[in-house]
Amino acid sequence: MLAVAVYGLNAAYSVFLWRKGFRRDDHVAYFLLLAGFALHSVALAKRGFSFHACPVNNLYEATTFLLWALVVAGLAVGLLPRLRFLGAFASPVLFAVGVFALMPSLDPPHGARPEFSGGLRSLHAATILLAYGAFGLGAVAAGMFLMQQHDLKAHKIRAVLSLLPSIQRLELVTARLVFAGFVLLTVGLAVGHELPRPEGASFFSDPKVLWSAFLWLAYLELLVAHRFFGRSSRRFAIGVIGVFVFLLLTFWITNLYSALHHS
Amino acid sequence: MSVVVIGLSHRTSPVELRERFAFAEETIPSALKSLRDSGIADEAVIISTCNRVEIYAATPLTPDAAFGELKKFLVQWAETTGKPSLDNNPGSRGRSPHQEEMYSIAEPQSLNHLFRVASGLDSMVIGETEIFGQLKQAYDLAFRHKHTGARLNKAFQRAFNVAKHIRTETNIQRGSVSVMSAAVELAEKIFNSLAEHEVLVIGAGETSGKTARALLSRGARNVVVTNRSPERATALAAELGGRAVPFEQWPDEFEKIDIAISSTAAPQHILDRAKLAPLMKRRKNRPLLLIDIAVPRDIDPAVNTLDNVYLYNVDDLQGIADDYLKLRQEEVARCEKIIAEKVAALLEANRYSATDSHR
Repeated sequence: MLAVAVYGLNAAYSVFLWRKGFRRDDHVAYFLLLAGFALHSVALAKRGFSFHACPVNNLYEATTFLLWALVVAGLAVGLLPRLRFLGAFASPVLFAVGVFALMPSLDPPHGARPEFSGGLRSLHAATILLAYGAFGLGAVAAGMFLMQQHDLKAHKIRAVLSLLPSIQRLELVTARLVFAGFVLLTVGLAVGHELPRPEGASFFSDPKVLWSAFLWLAYLELLVAHRFFGRSSRRFAIGVIGVFVFLLLTFWITNLYSALHHS
Repeated sequence: MSVVVIGLSHRTSPVELRERFAFAEETIPSALKSLRDSGIADEAVIISTCNRVEIYAATPLTPDAAFGELKKFLVQWAETTGKPSLDNNPGSRGRSPHQEEMYSIAEPQSLNHLFRVASGLDSMVIGETEIFGQLKQAYDLAFRHKHTGARLNKAFQRAFNVAKHIRTETNIQRGSVSVMSAAVELAEKIFNSLAEHEVLVIGAGETSGKTARALLSRGARNVVVTNRSPERATALAAELGGRAVPFEQWPDEFEKIDIAISSTAAPQHILDRAKLAPLMKRRKNRPLLLIDIAVPRDIDPAVNTLDNVYLYNVDDLQGIADDYLKLRQEEVARCEKIIAEKVAALLEANRYSATDSHR
């Protein structure tokens, strides 16, 4: 809860930075993200150690792990001075999803040993959630791209005054994050295919599997169209944001209806 | 002993008057020597640029007495070095430098003035850095010829430190205040590195040449020049180290280039949406920066609606330069505050060392 509060503080600060046109890099947004990350890590570690497994056993844990992956990627990319504002752009998403994850119904009490455990299962969950983190950060970079592109097209002084990277670099960062997410998603899905299934549950007709396959295809289409068919950078950025918004909005629903994930 | 300043600058006098009092660099050491020999100053520095002529002096005289002597010195020096008389000079006829054109400033405002000059606050383009180098050169010259002492050494060293502090702590020197540098800055906001991009110059005009030169100086890979008269294209291409192409063939270059500067004298648009859309497809939608500095405009504004096309005309670039200038002006108050603090600290240090030497 403390971590979400810090992300909230960072979201408020990012509004201030936005109003100021991202002109001054005073490291405050980065350090707030770092503080939130520290609290977040402690919370995840405590839960993980109590289960002796990756803490992704219910929607609350999966969501907080997803957020954690987003923050890790944000902090890593933010080490590059020109991309330090990525954390500021990501913080409203972190805060909103964090508040959602705190809803009590997402974290029902479970027995001493969670249903979702084991090395392969942990690897599956970790790679999938890291993939979502990379997609999320890709969407944030795409948002930065769209804002900067709009300002350049509209001849706004903010475009040249801000300390944001060039739009070509933002496009490159978006594409690389989406590609990294795509590779992680592919690995995660391949590992998922090898996992033991509950009796009577079908793999290929499971809503979560179908949803994941759709997601995989959507990202593949985005990457191929951008790389090989000259799709415009703007459309690519909108696509990356659109698919991630779809992911965020439907992630919980498919999880709830998946027999494979409620064994 | 106090530090005083006397001089003329672009703020107070026209160029006709400033040039009359300008010092040639080789004459400055002898001018400083005669200043000191006359007893007007114990220490002195003369700065003479196109925008200002100033004498900074540490004088044993009272400020009023020093001002009178320094003015007399300036006028006499101008006459002995054979500068045209004020009365014969159109634009300054009937004027006397002893009136409002020449300013004289006593301590502590003289120190404040020195710090402002070093920081570029008193320059024609606020925040410019050239004056810092010029002031340093003027001080070095006086220092080398042993015409400075404890007072001016301390004052100038502090002034240079304050200027550096202001440069790093404020936005006074940030941004482009000319059309050419605004174009370069825009290119850097669009492209990752200019080293990977070629520039096409359509119309071998002076401003387009300057803009291309500015882009090359920031690392642009190559320049292609085209012009209705091929001779001018070849000449500019040779000057910029690029290549010239016939005017009819410039659309073929669009596949390779990423920045185009247009400044032809064409009465109508030479590039519109219908012409550019298929070219963009051939470019696989790579970003394209179009700088239209022609009047009437060469490029139809509607091309800006195409994806990955960024069109800026001369007014847009001037707007960026003006906005930067406005921002610099907003920073002036912050700079003045820093200067006031630093001047107070210097005066305090001077007072302390004076008390110390009397003990």
